[in-house]
Amino acid sequence: MLNSATIVGYLPDYLAGALLTLELALVSTSIGAVLGLALALTRRSRYRVLSWPTYVYIEFFRTTPPLVQIVWLYYGLPLLFGFDLGAFGAAAVALGLNVAAFLAEIFRAGIAGVDRTQWQSARVLGLGFLDTLRFVILPQAIRNVLPPIGTTIIYLIKDTAIASAIGTPELLRVGQLVANETFRPAEALTIVAFAYFVLTYPVALGFTTIERRLSLARA
Amino acid sequence: MSESLIVVADLVKRYGSETVLDHVNLAVTSGQVMVIIGPSGSGKSTLLRCIARLEPIQRGQIIIDGLIAAIGTEEPQSAVSGPLMPSSRHDIGMVFQSYNLFPHLSVLDNITLAPRRVLGMSREEATAMAADLLKRVGLEDKRDVFPGRLSGGQQQRAAIARALAMRPRIMLFDEVTSALDPELVGEVLKTMRALAEQGMTMLVVTHEMGFARDVADDVIFMDKGSIVERSPPDQIFDRPTGPRTRTFLERLLEREGGSRRAK
Repeated sequence: MLNSATIVGYLPDYLAGALLTLELALVSTSIGAVLGLALALTRRSRYRVLSWPTYVYIEFFRTTPPLVQIVWLYYGLPLLFGFDLGAFGAAAVALGLNVAAFLAEIFRAGIAGVDRTQWQSARVLGLGFLDTLRFVILPQAIRNVLPPIGTTIIYLIKDTAIASAIGTPELLRVGQLVANETFRPAEALTIVAFAYFVLTYPVALGFTTIERRLSLARA
Repeated sequence: MSESLIVVADLVKRYGSETVLDHVNLAVTSGQVMVIIGPSGSGKSTLLRCIARLEPIQRGQIIIDGLIAAIGTEEPQSAVSGPLMPSSRHDIGMVFQSYNLFPHLSVLDNITLAPRRVLGMSREEATAMAADLLKRVGLEDKRDVFPGRLSGGQQQRAAIARALAMRPRIMLFDEVTSALDPELVGEVLKTMRALAEQGMTMLVVTHEMGFARDVADDVIFMDKGSIVERSPPDQIFDRPTGPRTRTFLERLLEREGGSRRAK
């Protein structure tokens, strides 16, 4: 039988875990968005010195498990460079570097989807490269790829659970601890699942809303 | 004799091994309207794109107002014999066949973006100027509309206003009426006529022979990457000197004969 009373006592722990999950997701999304954009641009560069290292970076982070990437940063950095990010830092940076690779490919597709003539029109108007990107190309590129960006961010929020492997007390870790203490893993982890839903569903709704608004504005 | 605003000297443009412009020479004086005609693939559009600095050139140079705007990539360093035009210069406005307005911006923002970012105009200043331009092209009520809601002719007039907002000294028109429904061609040509009357230097690639006859100072006939003939419209239409020009014009008039477009 479900014993809800036992679980209710742990709600503050769950709340703290959810907050940490949210922080992890925010920090790694920010790293991923900025780095991903830079990677998308260098990947498109006609200079091999820029596009080749980017290619290697993207494929490396897309094809190795995020769990291993977190472990590398958490255990590897202090060993190799005597530089300790801490559990939260290692997890946030590793997830950020990882999602950057995926976002880079999405941004690249979005930019490639903007008609070449848009660059040319901006050019004959005298707009520089950065202004053209900022005011002409990116607003259209992002619109093209809003759905995959939303999906990637939702994946990332759930992937923060991997940080539990190095002891970051985020949602899944809290669930595991509660399960161990109460011997009720099903209830303890169902609450975890529900909490992830509460965190991710608004993101899904938000992206749908933005998409609808922008397509209205364009018509 | 007045100094040329545009000088194209011995221009060679190739795409791979295909030569698109073959030693083209052209001089245009300030205030002149040049209409360029010729069969498709003759290099008309490419010539405009080279002058707009959208395409690198292989040989020769393009001089705008005494400054070297483009020089052939295969020219030796010593060929640079004058001041270079900085890449940020925007003396040349260009209007394309496919309008190319920015679809995510309103008509107003399409027009004010470059003046604000490049010329450093304030929002108020740019908006006032845009309102003025929109009146000139007959779109004063379309300020806040997005391009997707405009007809082709309206989009093209908005594109002309956008180009004029940078106060160019030269306007390039690349088959700007070719994508339009026939009944919308007139309104765009009218805008271009007005611009010509105000003394704008214009290079116009078009198949609108009525426009060429009325507005052009000179008509240039291009074929296979070369300028074959350059003459005032009366002469080129009534007494073309070259056989290729004659054949081209005969075919064109034959086709237009049945359904001649309103001027």
